[in-house]
Amino acid sequence: MTAPFLHINGIRKTYGNVVATDHVELAIAEGEFMTFLGPSGSGKSTTLYILAGFQDPTAGDIRLRGQSILQTPSHKRNIGMVFQRYTLFPHLSVGENVAFPLRVRRMGQDEVAAKVKRALSLVRLDGFEDRMPAKMSGGQQQRVALARALVYDPPVLLMDEPLSALDKKLREEIQFEIRRIHQETGVTILYVTHDQEEALRLSDRIAIFNQGKIEQVGTGPELYANPATHFVADFIGDSTFLAGQLAGVSGNRAGLRFADGTLVADVPLHGSGHAGQAAELMLRPERIELAPEPGAAGASLPVTVEDMTFLGNNTTVAARTSWGDALSVRLNFGHPLSGRIARGDSLYIRWSPEAAHAFVRG
Amino acid sequence: MLSAIAARRRGSGLGFAMPAILLLLAFFVVPVAALLTRSVTEPEPGLQNYVTLLGNSTYARIFFNTFFVSAVVTLITVLIAFPVAWALAIMPRRWAGVIFAIILLSMWTNLLARTYAWMVLLQQTGLINRSLMALGLIDAPLQLTNNLVGVTIGMVYIMLPFMILPLMGVIKKIDPAILQAAALCGATKAQALWRVLVPLAAPGIASGALMVFVMSLGYYVTPSLLGGTANMMLAELIAQQVQSLLNWGMGGAAAFVLLVVTLGLYAVQLRFFEPGEGR
Repeated sequence: MTAPFLHINGIRKTYGNVVATDHVELAIAEGEFMTFLGPSGSGKSTTLYILAGFQDPTAGDIRLRGQSILQTPSHKRNIGMVFQRYTLFPHLSVGENVAFPLRVRRMGQDEVAAKVKRALSLVRLDGFEDRMPAKMSGGQQQRVALARALVYDPPVLLMDEPLSALDKKLREEIQFEIRRIHQETGVTILYVTHDQEEALRLSDRIAIFNQGKIEQVGTGPELYANPATHFVADFIGDSTFLAGQLAGVSGNRAGLRFADGTLVADVPLHGSGHAGQAAELMLRPERIELAPEPGAAGASLPVTVEDMTFLGNNTTVAARTSWGDALSVRLNFGHPLSGRIARGDSLYIRWSPEAAHAFVRG
Repeated sequence: MLSAIAARRRGSGLGFAMPAILLLLAFFVVPVAALLTRSVTEPEPGLQNYVTLLGNSTYARIFFNTFFVSAVVTLITVLIAFPVAWALAIMPRRWAGVIFAIILLSMWTNLLARTYAWMVLLQQTGLINRSLMALGLIDAPLQLTNNLVGVTIGMVYIMLPFMILPLMGVIKKIDPAILQAAALCGATKAQALWRVLVPLAAPGIASGALMVFVMSLGYYVTPSLLGGTANMMLAELIAQQVQSLLNWGMGGAAAFVLLVVTLGLYAVQLRFFEPGEGR
């Protein structure tokens, strides 16, 4: 097997007793859009900073095309980066900001001019060469930063929550631009965000970070349909967790018994456990159906309606199981039940067996 | 009610400033005007004081000394203060506080005491000469007092805080991420310094340099104690003319030339570094 394009190999970083990242292992293909997704303090930014050369790992290696880059200082790594904060050089015009990486490489004047023009055109800021950064909006500044990071054709582009300072509408607009630029240039992108929607929208693959470790790596649909851990299930998409006990484990499938005696048989089990151990059944709200009568045995539970919220295209129904676990169900607009249920109604939830996952309580 | 107060405040802003304005009028504008008058009326009406001052080679020497020493002091001060200010801006708060306190303490210590201390350090049998000789770096003691070398050393030391303070102000405002960005863009440390850090700190360098240069032009105590009589500077000339020779006309002319130069430099700085432009 040939070496991966970019190999993050067992990176560990500790500050005194605090472990920032622990054995982060990831192989990234050339041209891939890989997102590090996780809450703040999960080690995703630390990993990015180690890639940028701003921090040295305590252990592990980073190899680009098979060559370790850890001994190479930041300014020789030839890596592009767009930061969370606006980091354009305030004393330089937009054109000179984009030209900066070429000037420090002592490139000829004509080549600089041509490359700056092309880079600004890539981020749709043609003709902004003479504008000063302070006279531009946040979105425009980040686009200039993107042009500056791409103008020297780096093999890898790092993006550290580049849109977090922008408002929602602008964010979506620039997400679209980033996708287009990724497709046009084919540059390998490592993107850090805590926004799952942004991650799903942009990425080829997502690495979910939690407490310094990667919990799971996969495409958006893979992570959504087949979360490996409770954390991933909770972080990607909305999910409902119902508490129960394992009853009969065989391999990576198990049965789950709820407090009211209901047995849910043969669901995929994540994590190892034995009968009697506390576990949770995970259901996605759009895979749950609400009905006046119970469904097939083992894929249905009685619930009491607590509240309804009309949200335009759907009505979200908050309900509770007989033992007190809260859950929510979405009724699409025009659903026969919507408008006909009231608080306190006793109804049944039903789900298709393949939509359920069991997680051992860790 | 608040808006009423605000309105009143706006209307009477001049009123609040009145005591300061009156003080400046009485003790600055009037004396300067009087001195200017005496410089063109004594010993007889005319510009002869200025002609002598600007035409005579002894005075030309004094002007040269003054501007040369001030320029060298300013340059050396910038070179020393920049790394200090940078270190203070990036070092952990507690350490920066201690070092900052040391700088302030030195500033608050009596000027004469500090200058005399330099005399002791710099003299032929002083600590510096003895150390250098003990280390075998020199065979005979260096002449470090009673000349412009001593003046320059003493003044650099006294002026340092006036350069460090404005530099720290601008450097602290520079986002460290901007320097990280410069590094990833491929800039070596030297390139990041000259192409990013220095331009961004330029307003602080300019205001610190102006302050140091102007203060140096008119400095009296250090040049007179460390420079000796052979190497006079402008402030010493003024003191000599007025105190020893009672030549108010000549003293006034020298003082006025100094004032014009200072205002000219200030105007240049305002022109190129408008307040609020640097960030």
